Amino acid sequence: MKLFEYQAKELLKEYGIPVPESELAHNQGEAVAAFRGMSHPVVLKSQVLAGGRGKAGGILAASNEEEVTEAFGKIMNLEIGGERPSCVLVEVSVPHETEIYLSITLDRGARAFVVISSKAGGVDVESLKGRVIQKISNKGITKGEAQSVAMKLHLSGEERERFSRIVANLERLAREKECELAEINPLAFTKRGGLTALDAKVILDDNALFRHPEFSKLHPEDEFEGEASRQGFAFVRLEGNIGVVGNGAGLVLSTLDLVADAGGNPACFLDLGGGAQRERVEAAVNLVNKLPNANRILVNIFGGITRTTDVAEGIKSVIEQGVMKPIYARISGAEEREAREILAKTPVHLHPSPSEAVEAAVRSQ
Amino acid sequence: MILPRRGEAVIVQGITGRYGSLHTKLMLQYGTRIAAGVTPGKGGESVEGVPVFNTVKEAVSKSRARSSILFVPAQFFYGAAEEAVLAGVKLLVAITEHIPVRDTLKMLELAKKHSATIIGPNTPGVIIPSQGVKLGIMPATSFKPGRVALFSRSGTLMYEVANELSSNGFGQSLALGVGGDPINCTTLNECIDLAQGLNETQEVVIVGEIGGDAEERLAKHILDRGFSKRVVGYIAGRHAPREKRMGHAGAIIYGDYGTAESKINALKEAGAEVAMTPMEIPLLLRKRRDRRERT
Repeated sequence: MKLFEYQAKELLKEYGIPVPESELAHNQGEAVAAFRGMSHPVVLKSQVLAGGRGKAGGILAASNEEEVTEAFGKIMNLEIGGERPSCVLVEVSVPHETEIYLSITLDRGARAFVVISSKAGGVDVESLKGRVIQKISNKGITKGEAQSVAMKLHLSGEERERFSRIVANLERLAREKECELAEINPLAFTKRGGLTALDAKVILDDNALFRHPEFSKLHPEDEFEGEASRQGFAFVRLEGNIGVVGNGAGLVLSTLDLVADAGGNPACFLDLGGGAQRERVEAAVNLVNKLPNANRILVNIFGGITRTTDVAEGIKSVIEQGVMKPIYARISGAEEREAREILAKTPVHLHPSPSEAVEAAVRSQ
Repeated sequence: MILPRRGEAVIVQGITGRYGSLHTKLMLQYGTRIAAGVTPGKGGESVEGVPVFNTVKEAVSKSRARSSILFVPAQFFYGAAEEAVLAGVKLLVAITEHIPVRDTLKMLELAKKHSATIIGPNTPGVIIPSQGVKLGIMPATSFKPGRVALFSRSGTLMYEVANELSSNGFGQSLALGVGGDPINCTTLNECIDLAQGLNETQEVVIVGEIGGDAEERLAKHILDRGFSKRVVGYIAGRHAPREKRMGHAGAIIYGDYGTAESKINALKEAGAEVAMTPMEIPLLLRKRRDRRERT
């Protein structure tokens, strides 16, 4: 789960990492009030999870109340990556000379968490030149290791001390809150010699949320993603018109590829999970039936532990309950002949192979 | 990594749960010798005729098993894995999904210290058709004995591909899922080292997916060390969106890190052929075997 910038900054503050003074505004009045209460100029920042916010025009400067009002209106009406903000962060603008990139992240190849840092802040980490990477043991970073990151960045004196303290604190945050990523980009050296986190990105380990009740109510979820997660489905909303349902993440992923290769456009990714029972199949098809951008449903089942007769019964039952969107299906595996018989008298378009089912779903009008 | 052979005792941790008991039955049917099960507090019961113990230590001392398959819920998984390693278990098959990544890193460290191997987590397990050994949740009917070693990051795709292979005359020497999580305790590199040593294995099929750089690392490993057997790859997720977790915790692209394109290119550079669909895999294998039989 990715946190909004303001949520990430609250965590930084909790861990003793300096952030600029800021306030969250949900309406114009709050934005102006926030402006009045802090030193000027300020920046207004769209609170969306999508990347590329600055380039898209989601961050605007303001030095008087008219500018705040105008910027607030612009940002609230600006969609970034298909996402509209529900609030804006009004933040004191921090004059600074140099910037640093700093993150604690999981290095999947090294199978360890690492510190990544670079003197070129503000840009995409992949393209960072001269970045320093330091592996962290499961017990956490030592003071010496944090110091050595600072030294490799050629920081000295007070700057080195302050920076290594931030490295250590960010690492402790990432470890204690079980983040996959805790990133400060940029970390600014202010004119007064201090260090301040101007932007922050935190991604939590979803699988560790059971140990962190403090995060349980952080997000307004997409209605469909929320419903899917309550049902225990893996679900991703996409932009096309073919709702794709299958059992197993890899199988659904490969079905999306088949759809795209055939010239189609998936409306969602829905993984029923292993051993799906009839009720789960019903819930999944009903969910995709409600998805407004899906006008047809493609079901790809390879029954191993999942009994294909359960799947067929589930599909038959939702059709009897009035699901009207056309359903294209490939169902093979255990008990497939019986499953075909169950669906024979329904309007489901059954195909023997995934590619034929995909082709039919894409070609139909 | 030493995999169990025919008739070798194994234990099941979490044997009394819904999945644990169902798969105990299915593994027994396949021929796996499940000698004992473990569920704390359920000692003295039995599941499918298999005696249940309260601790791994008791189960191991009664059965002499050195391998365990774990169906323990994610919240309790680290404790169960630790108990197994400390009781002397040398192979752990971690079926469970949704284990926190920091727990996985901790158990990997512990396993290394005790020279134990963990397959997974979030794996369908491992099956050796010629030995009648199945330590996993895969449907037995898809797998036939043969000469292809199949390694996969995905469960259902592994079954689908095995089924395609089997029905086209390509049986498997073994099939092993490395798991769908960001951290694989047994890596694809270790799998291919294992396949190198298996005399009966003629070809290797790698089923990869978006996220991370396991396939890129595998390609580098092949280029660096050399690999004498033929490799056919398939990567799911060519059309997946970025920054979206596609079902598996590990199937997520960040920026240009973890794209299917990068993996396909890396595998090709290492001399592997890459199929565009699961159905194409046996076709590529057939072409290769035909070519070799001609020359």
